[in-house]
Amino acid sequence: MKYRLGSLALVGVLLLAPLFVASYSSASASATSLHSLTFAYDWPGPDMEIIPVLVAKEKGYFAKAGLNVSIKFPPNTSTTIKMLTTGSADVGLVTTADLVSAVDASVPVTSIANYSMSNNWGLFTKPGTKLSLSQLKGKTVFSFGDNWTATMLPFVFKKAGVSASSVKVVTSTNDIPLLLNGRVNFSTNTTNYEIPGIEGADKGQQPGEVLTGAAIGVPNIPIWDYATSKSVESSSGKYLTAFLSALKQATAWAAANPDAAATLFDKAYPSSGYTNAYNLSGWKLTVPLLTNAKGQYFVETDAQWTELTSAMKAVKEITSQPSPSSLYTNKYQPAA
Amino acid sequence: MTSSPQPPVSVVRENARRADAFAPAWPFAKLALWYVASVSLTLLVWQSCIWIFHPAPYIVPTPRATYDVVVSQWSQIWPLALGTFRETIYGYAAGAALGFLLAVAMYKIRVFRSLSYPLIIGSQAIPIIALAPILVLVIGFNIYPTIIVVTWIVFFPVTINTLDGFLNLDPDLLNLTRVLGATRGRRFWFVELPGVVTPLFSGLKIGAAYAVTGAIIGEQAASSGPSLYQFQVAANNQSRTDLVYGITIVMMIIGLLWFAVVTGLDRIFTPWKYRATARRWFRRDKTRNASLTTND
Repeated sequence: MKYRLGSLALVGVLLLAPLFVASYSSASASATSLHSLTFAYDWPGPDMEIIPVLVAKEKGYFAKAGLNVSIKFPPNTSTTIKMLTTGSADVGLVTTADLVSAVDASVPVTSIANYSMSNNWGLFTKPGTKLSLSQLKGKTVFSFGDNWTATMLPFVFKKAGVSASSVKVVTSTNDIPLLLNGRVNFSTNTTNYEIPGIEGADKGQQPGEVLTGAAIGVPNIPIWDYATSKSVESSSGKYLTAFLSALKQATAWAAANPDAAATLFDKAYPSSGYTNAYNLSGWKLTVPLLTNAKGQYFVETDAQWTELTSAMKAVKEITSQPSPSSLYTNKYQPAA
Repeated sequence: MTSSPQPPVSVVRENARRADAFAPAWPFAKLALWYVASVSLTLLVWQSCIWIFHPAPYIVPTPRATYDVVVSQWSQIWPLALGTFRETIYGYAAGAALGFLLAVAMYKIRVFRSLSYPLIIGSQAIPIIALAPILVLVIGFNIYPTIIVVTWIVFFPVTINTLDGFLNLDPDLLNLTRVLGATRGRRFWFVELPGVVTPLFSGLKIGAAYAVTGAIIGEQAASSGPSLYQFQVAANNQSRTDLVYGITIVMMIIGLLWFAVVTGLDRIFTPWKYRATARRWFRRDKTRNASLTTND
């Protein structure tokens, strides 16, 4: 009896072995057939703006587009472009102002798509405090010391009719505790980070004032964009279209399903330090920024770059004004 | 009781001359030469890496490009560097004073030593980069958070080294002072304090090397206006790598300058480490010196 069972088992193993081998080789073949791309975020840790890339990865949009995308986080907010140029990453999220500075410094990078389409940067006051732009003189304004704020503040000063020297601009690592504690009168940030931050820190309170856009005299141009290096463009150009195509699908899904997108983020990064309420609120505030007036994602224009470079040249952030064609390309944009 | 015979004056004089010759005639110049040699070697290695690996200038600029950008931006850099140097000195002075006083208190009051030692060790386990924003929140945007950060970094090596020095004083010497009836004050001033000068300066030199780092961390956490750190961040944001390197070197020079000052003070206050005899202007026995020069 034992002998018969042993023989049957042996025959079974011999019959099933080719099936195992076949399935294993097809699985490894599908893994190896995916083209690997590395995405570098603009912040040292994950936050809700990474949702489109995360959704594309977690929901398999990248895999369907033939891509195996890994996500890297830079050591600080100034390193993403360096990661692109040194080959540590293939595509990255950067601010448009950082990209202009990089091109001005002859760094071979280019923008391939807008992340956001409008300027949601502005000035904020603590809950319950009403301060208008006309009261800016003599006040303390918080800045992260970033390129974007350095470019936008002169517009604000001009609109307020004050000189830079009449306003005390201070720099630190986090604005919200300083704002709530009254150490600064205004903080500068973007709406999708500042409003959820204040809500979380001050029991759901809203900022006293949210001063953005034309009210503070700043141009309405995109803040963030997806960028790549010239070498990736030449070596993996066709994959950039696949990347943006998957990303577009993921962005649309995340915009239509903000709750599910925020939950996906929480599951992917349980130790991010952000609450679900923060992520959801932040993402909901981000969604309207993602499309232009025609409802399009990603599309870049000469006008946005010309306006930005003019502004940066005016405040001496750059030495010369690069042409828009040296800054961006729409050729990897997915079909409408 | 017989006294040992005195050596002839000529022998004493010759020994003193040889001892003087043992020490370098220009100790500061010699130290500066070593600094220059060390920096030159670093520059050579840096330039060699560029010759060998050919990195893009926005990744690693040449020493020449770095020098040029510092020179061209000097009018903006030097007031900021001066500010950082000022923060370094103020914080260092406060840290050195606090460190020394703590060491004395811990040496003299055993209960205080037992209570404070774990806290002092624990103070260094707190990441200073996390502490700095809290200081800003409490104190506000002024120079004091930065000074406190530098003080926090500097006091520790001073306290630990000085306390070790106090605890390892020669017990026979201390007993002798007691037998001779010295007061506590005189014992501290003439035996204990001179006995810890060497470890004190070891702590001061360690603190000097780290002080500028504290000043930069302070500037990161709280800059009420332009600062060297913020200038570097702006350069980094704008991909001006040559300027980032240049500012880093300026920061290093601030640290080196302050270390050189403390090393100079060390040479003045601990001459026995560098010379077999006291300098002529420092010798107490003026009459003997005079006799050495006239009677021979």
